[in-house]
Amino acid sequence: MATGEPDSPAQEGMALSQEEDRLCPADTGGDKLSTGLEELPAPQSNGPMRSVDGQEEPSDKDLSDSASTDTALEDSSEFGRPLMVGACETGAAAVPPTRRDEDVTAASWRARRKHIFVLSEAGKPIYSRYGNEEALSSTMGVMMALVSFIQSGDNAIRSIYSDDRKLVFVQQGPLVLVSVSRTLQSEQQLRQELLYVYYQILSMLTQVSITRIFERKKNYDLRRLLAGSEKILDRLINLVESDPSFLLGAVRCLPLPASLREALGALLQKAITPNLVFSILVARSQLVTAVQERAVIEECRLEPTDLHLLLNLIGASSAFQAGEIWTPICLPRFNPDGYFYAYISYLDAECTVCLVLLSTDKESFYAVSDCKKRVEEAMRTQGSLQALSGGLQSPSYGVGQVGVPDLRHFLYKPLDIPENYRQLPQFTSPELEGPYCSEEEQHRLFDLYHYLHSRIHSTSRPLRLIYHVAEKETLLAWVTSKFELYTCFSPLVTKAGAINVLTKLLRWIKREEDRLFIRYPPKYSTTPNPGKGTKGGRPDNAENGFFAGL
Amino acid sequence: MKKPDGKVVLLGDMNVGKTSLLHRYMERRFQDTVSTVGGAFYLKQWGPYNISIWDTAGREQFHGLGSMYCRGAAAVILTYDVNNLQSLIELEDRFLALTDTASSDCIFAIVGNKVDLTNEYALLLETEDENTREKPVTSCISTKVQKQVHLDDAVALYKKILKYKMLDEKDVPAAEKMCFETSAKTGYKVDYLFETVFDMVVPIILQQQAEGPSQTVDITSYKSAKRTKSGCCA
Repeated sequence: MATGEPDSPAQEGMALSQEEDRLCPADTGGDKLSTGLEELPAPQSNGPMRSVDGQEEPSDKDLSDSASTDTALEDSSEFGRPLMVGACETGAAAVPPTRRDEDVTAASWRARRKHIFVLSEAGKPIYSRYGNEEALSSTMGVMMALVSFIQSGDNAIRSIYSDDRKLVFVQQGPLVLVSVSRTLQSEQQLRQELLYVYYQILSMLTQVSITRIFERKKNYDLRRLLAGSEKILDRLINLVESDPSFLLGAVRCLPLPASLREALGALLQKAITPNLVFSILVARSQLVTAVQERAVIEECRLEPTDLHLLLNLIGASSAFQAGEIWTPICLPRFNPDGYFYAYISYLDAECTVCLVLLSTDKESFYAVSDCKKRVEEAMRTQGSLQALSGGLQSPSYGVGQVGVPDLRHFLYKPLDIPENYRQLPQFTSPELEGPYCSEEEQHRLFDLYHYLHSRIHSTSRPLRLIYHVAEKETLLAWVTSKFELYTCFSPLVTKAGAINVLTKLLRWIKREEDRLFIRYPPKYSTTPNPGKGTKGGRPDNAENGFFAGL
Repeated sequence: MKKPDGKVVLLGDMNVGKTSLLHRYMERRFQDTVSTVGGAFYLKQWGPYNISIWDTAGREQFHGLGSMYCRGAAAVILTYDVNNLQSLIELEDRFLALTDTASSDCIFAIVGNKVDLTNEYALLLETEDENTREKPVTSCISTKVQKQVHLDDAVALYKKILKYKMLDEKDVPAAEKMCFETSAKTGYKVDYLFETVFDMVVPIILQQQAEGPSQTVDITSYKSAKRTKSGCCA
């Protein structure tokens, strides 16, 4: 079957049949909570991917096992180590102008850090991150063969571990998503990334329509409907790799004086029309404020994933200040089968401040557009647009503001948000500076964060505190009931010094809280019967929520 | 709020350059755009009137929306790529039916974009001095390709549309007047296209205003128009 592709899939397919018990059908580990401080002077990085032989269980448990047995302080820069296939020195250099035209038989294609494929159950290619899907039909055929082979034994393939790569499979309805990665991310994280890709496809097509299409015609070519959307998926995958929002499942807020944020929220609260459900103000992909319809969030709240997908879609579309976009969009975590109608308009000439209004009424463009005019008008009289874009001129904030020299970067996600506010999970982090200016260095830092995150969130052996000494920096990750924190220090920091810095950092964040986060998300009530426009949307008792909310 | 008085809709397959055409006209420059999602709304002041322009997504994914954007439209600009015959065929196969919801007296323009990529372009520039900007032909000749779609094909499509709409050639602008070839990249004939269309939309606006509020009338006028036409045929 695999004619043109001599590389891994076929080989691993063979290994697979010998090692069938390695494919764990369901998540096994999980309940034993290991607490307390676990100190890891060195993670595994020499042989990050286990070889197929001699491994019992491919869950992330084993990642931690191998980690604790390794002793030497190892070079974390090996994260991006070249692979054994050979001829990979040219990998990075010889990148063809467009990814779609990339030669899929070239070594540089195989040397890519992470491939993502989407195919239909019939084995039809739908999307490939690099190279033309068409040219990859035989490879995708092999992938589908693997999936069906395991399926025929009433099981499901989850992953394959080779020497230096992980292959992760996710099956969602009639779609199969595959990630082939050389990064140090855990299987769980790769799976999450694939789900993001899946959700982005849903955001454009909805689950019901995809299911319906394939029910009617098993070998339908979904690229027909997704044509033109490749850029949206490309952009998403790049973002997922470089933006901690996706890793943390949280939204990054634009640091703003609380009074200005409140004023803007109040402004959005006033500019409403029937069937409006979410009003979101964004500046350069950072959330300024989001107002939600009361009755709607009683039932279901806006998920960070949905917001990320929405912002990615906006970012990937043509942005002209003069135009106002009106498009159907599905928020898959909110409701995978229904469409909202999104109104998107930029408020400034540079297209940095963007207003997004979501309505359930397809016909309400002019009414919603009128809301925007009111917002614009009010912002002009208050002068808040200038205040906002003034804040955008400078980078959001540097780590220097914390005032501790050893600290290089951090990610902080508060967890102590009262549930009754139906708050969006948020996080904050300073601009990357210092040694992390090049893309390569950022990737490296992000790989480290990914690694720490996978240890903290391991299903088999979760940790609460990790002190990790890497080659060029020292990192400390800490999760409590109140926050999740990842910090990066200069390599010379001592353990006591790091703890000291943490205390200062937490104090600083506490002080800046009102500026860094949305504390009390504003709400409005636009309609007593909000279920009107959404197909299969909320239950009818949404009205109860509406009155309870008053 | 400035209420738009008339509506113009750009339809056509993906990658024919609808957004670029509009962008060239509205912002006077050419920019690499990415695929449009849904539809984008622009307002253009034309004399005393506000004309709304809907730039729609050509992707099949958003196809179901076309008729929504077209509702009550006074003009539909059907766009194709002169180097891609399929994009012209798609206009008839896929997009023409979307215009059913347009105003009954809707005018149609057929536009072949990307003429700058053809080998005829230099020739065109010579013969039509008055409409060309000082723009030199930037891309080198070697990349030019043989044009796939000729103006005659567009004229033939225009006549098919009239037949589909059951309109008499005598009652509508002549095909030769309503078929355009443009280049959003160089700006060739882009202004001419939009200005011609806007000029023709004004009488329709006046008529629509005389008939009363647009939303409700659109449907009834469309239906009544159909009835009279079938009456004619019988």
